[in-house]
Amino acid sequence: MDILSVSKGSGFAYEDAEVGSDEDVDILIDEDETRGDDVQLDGSVKTSVVTPGELVTDDPIWMRGHGTYFLGTNTYSSVAGTISRVNRLLSVKPIRGRYEPETGDHIVGRIAEVGQKRWKVDIGAKTHAILMLGSVNLPGGVLRRKSESDELQMRNFLKEGDLLNCEVQSLFQDGSASLHTRSLKYGKLRNGYFISVPSSLIVRAKNHSHSLPGGASVIIGVNGYIWLRKTTEDISQANNTSLSKNATAISAKGQYNVGSGSVSITRLEEESSWEIYSDVNDEISSTLRSTITRYANSIKALAFCEIGISVERIISAYEASMAYEDSGKLVDRETMETIGQQVINGEKYRGQ
Amino acid sequence: MSRFEIYSPEGLRVDGRRWNELRRFECRINTHPDSSDGSSYVEQGNSKVICIVNGPMEPSSKAEMSTSKATLKISLNVTPFSSIDRKKRSKNERRIQEIVTSLKRTFEQSIIVNKYPRTTISITLHVLALDGGLLSSITNAITLALIDAGIAMYDYISSVSAGFYNNTPLLDLNQLEESDVSFLTIGVVGKSEKLALLLLENKIPLDQLESVLAIAIAGGHRIRDLMDKEVRRHGDLRLSKLANK
Repeated sequence: MDILSVSKGSGFAYEDAEVGSDEDVDILIDEDETRGDDVQLDGSVKTSVVTPGELVTDDPIWMRGHGTYFLGTNTYSSVAGTISRVNRLLSVKPIRGRYEPETGDHIVGRIAEVGQKRWKVDIGAKTHAILMLGSVNLPGGVLRRKSESDELQMRNFLKEGDLLNCEVQSLFQDGSASLHTRSLKYGKLRNGYFISVPSSLIVRAKNHSHSLPGGASVIIGVNGYIWLRKTTEDISQANNTSLSKNATAISAKGQYNVGSGSVSITRLEEESSWEIYSDVNDEISSTLRSTITRYANSIKALAFCEIGISVERIISAYEASMAYEDSGKLVDRETMETIGQQVINGEKYRGQ
Repeated sequence: MSRFEIYSPEGLRVDGRRWNELRRFECRINTHPDSSDGSSYVEQGNSKVICIVNGPMEPSSKAEMSTSKATLKISLNVTPFSSIDRKKRSKNERRIQEIVTSLKRTFEQSIIVNKYPRTTISITLHVLALDGGLLSSITNAITLALIDAGIAMYDYISSVSAGFYNNTPLLDLNQLEESDVSFLTIGVVGKSEKLALLLLENKIPLDQLESVLAIAIAGGHRIRDLMDKEVRRHGDLRLSKLANK
């Protein structure tokens, strides 16, 4: 059993402790000065970890961003993470933490509360996000005014526990988000399966909803909530931003028509029927169910290996998982590790 | 004279340590990554504590919400099998309540609570084995779990107990010593000599208090270094995995 000695001297405690702690302070200052220089001189910030209370820089030239606090001219770290520098802004990115919403993020959320003209949505952030009645599409078209009767039947549109995909419209002063679903690709979710992974694993991309091989589609919420569902006609149309679809649209017609890849307002009105708030699932075949399960377990394997999640990797993990007959076996520890390794190797191979 | 000597003339304590030696201190962070935002496990000698932090998150009721800062919820569970005599301790026991209150006050000072308005941070503690130093091992476990959760703090709070026996200060007492020696528990703020927590439940002569505090602060610094090492180890591990992203 190793016991840790605090001070080795045999004299009286107080002097010992004093000397010991003084030495500590000297070492601290030396280290931190070199760290400060590192940040300034190379321009590349050291990638090592800083911990709470650690002096990041004593130069007052830096603006203090997230994850830091200051006393006098000294800037200290307040979380364990890595230093990031954008121009003069110095911030510390925590290694772990809850999802922090940003304007424009495509996310998946769950209704937590129905309130006055608004829904509270659990998006895995520090606080619930707000979805105003005015920022959803209601049956009857976009240009419809929201009346009192709409307020009274808010639960008929979205009720507690419903899942929806939406976009962060703006952020409030305290960092909580305001959402909107004013597009055909957003709205209530059904016909599928929900998975939650750490939000830090999601690779931000241009497009977060994709069709997958095998009749399934996926919405990879930036907040780490993922929805796997059956591909239906309107989904494949709403996924208009996917490059391949646009390419086929162009090649088929020989020319690119303005708006052919997007939904016209008139169509939006046609589609904005009560259908979009339906709670009833379509008929889903058992083969599709097992495909979705396999996709879900592939995503879990990626999350277990802490590999960033993108649609390419989901497909590649799904293909790797085909080696295992029983998709229930995929959640075994060794299997998940093997699949993660195969995905990484596959990428290296293709990269060469 | 009792069966054992608290501090022998040769300068050895019941478990063979000298007066200024800490017990074995081991810690792990991120022990429960799937079920919590931050988690830690601390062993201080034979005391073993698990800490789970969830939050900052939406408060369960409006009443406990503050518009200016985060509210802390601490629940401490001392398991019946943790000490030699098996007995059930309720969460409402006065001693437990006192510890929770002092922890709440300590961490409301060291967490930057005004960064998280309208939220709750819930801290759950399970004491699996208890061999003295209840408050200090809990405090260290909370510090680590909060860091793991990425919650902004001013500095580490490292905690250790120290007693005074026969004109000698003794560092980091175990259960046997705690029952015979008057002792205090402190929480040191980072590498400074500031205290975020000081609990003295019995008496220490005022003129000796300084020497006891000095050895406790030095011990606290040592524990801070050990915790820092673990945080960095885990941080580097995470960064190496992030290369896959």
